Amino acid sequence: MRQIRADLHIHTLLSPCGSLEMTPREIIARAKARGLDMIAISDHNSTLHCELTVALGAKAGITVLRAAEVTSAEDVHSLVILPDEAARASFQQWLDSRSEKIPHNPDIFGDQVVIDENENIIAEIKYFLTAALKASIDEVEAAAHRHGALFIPAHIDRPSMSITSQLGFIPDDLYIDAVEVVGRTPEILYPVIRNSDAHIPEHIGRRYTDYMMESPSFGELAMAMRGESGRHIILADA
Amino acid sequence: MKVTDIVEKLNLKVFSGHEGLGAEITGGYASDLLSDVMGHAEAGAVWVTIQTHRNVMAIASLRDLSAVIITCGEKPGDDTMTQSNEEAIPVLGTDLSTFELAGRLHAILR
Repeated sequence: MRQIRADLHIHTLLSPCGSLEMTPREIIARAKARGLDMIAISDHNSTLHCELTVALGAKAGITVLRAAEVTSAEDVHSLVILPDEAARASFQQWLDSRSEKIPHNPDIFGDQVVIDENENIIAEIKYFLTAALKASIDEVEAAAHRHGALFIPAHIDRPSMSITSQLGFIPDDLYIDAVEVVGRTPEILYPVIRNSDAHIPEHIGRRYTDYMMESPSFGELAMAMRGESGRHIILADA
Repeated sequence: MKVTDIVEKLNLKVFSGHEGLGAEITGGYASDLLSDVMGHAEAGAVWVTIQTHRNVMAIASLRDLSAVIITCGEKPGDDTMTQSNEEAIPVLGTDLSTFELAGRLHAILR
């Protein structure tokens, strides 16, 4: 068992708000330089840059988890961290089926492009990715768990787009694997983690969480969040 | 003015909480951020929102609001309506947008 450092909330250039410098290659290089063992790629309502980053991470010795930062109908942001490629592909289909397809204006919100390993643009998403899905937070949580994923309300201590800002408090019948905070650790019944929510390369690893686990992997992370078999979150205050 | 009066004047649908239709309305508040309503809505106000999550009822109860009006033709879930019945705080509905509904509500409450 060892200490694994992870930053599980990183946007790529696919997110409209993500800097064009946030290519999978740059993210892996920065993660390596910051001493991270594991990262998750979590674009707004999309998983289309996960596979490329997973492949680049494998070459560099960094574990990359597939994720998305999902906007539910209440304008609440939640991280959904998926176990494997099959779950990612299926969850992507679910995201596609629930998206509003509001036409995107890159001049106002920024580009939404998918690139290949040579950093050539291979697709441009024509609808606004960050818009709320036609799915309530209960439906997002259910879809996440149907895919074997971890469901983590994002930046719950922020005054906008968080479960607390939109819904006043955390509904007690949601199945929550952990909550993500930006500031101090709240007195709360859920496991607490911190991540960078990086949109520019300099922010990768600015916040992170250390976990005690055998190796950096999705399965070990899930065990750490549940506190199973000696795995656990090593909580440092902000 | 009572909740039942605005139901009639604004042609609102009554989803649930019929027992509370006789409550007195003392003002209004329009917001979709529950954290904002929790901090600022005054007791007796009718709350205008597009949020339909069941937490709406918890906040309405906490702030002692007279009724909730859900706009844009959105519909509350079963759990929201159940809690509305338990709390006797009516959940009402309209196809109008929040802007249109709030304007008309303000005019009749003035």
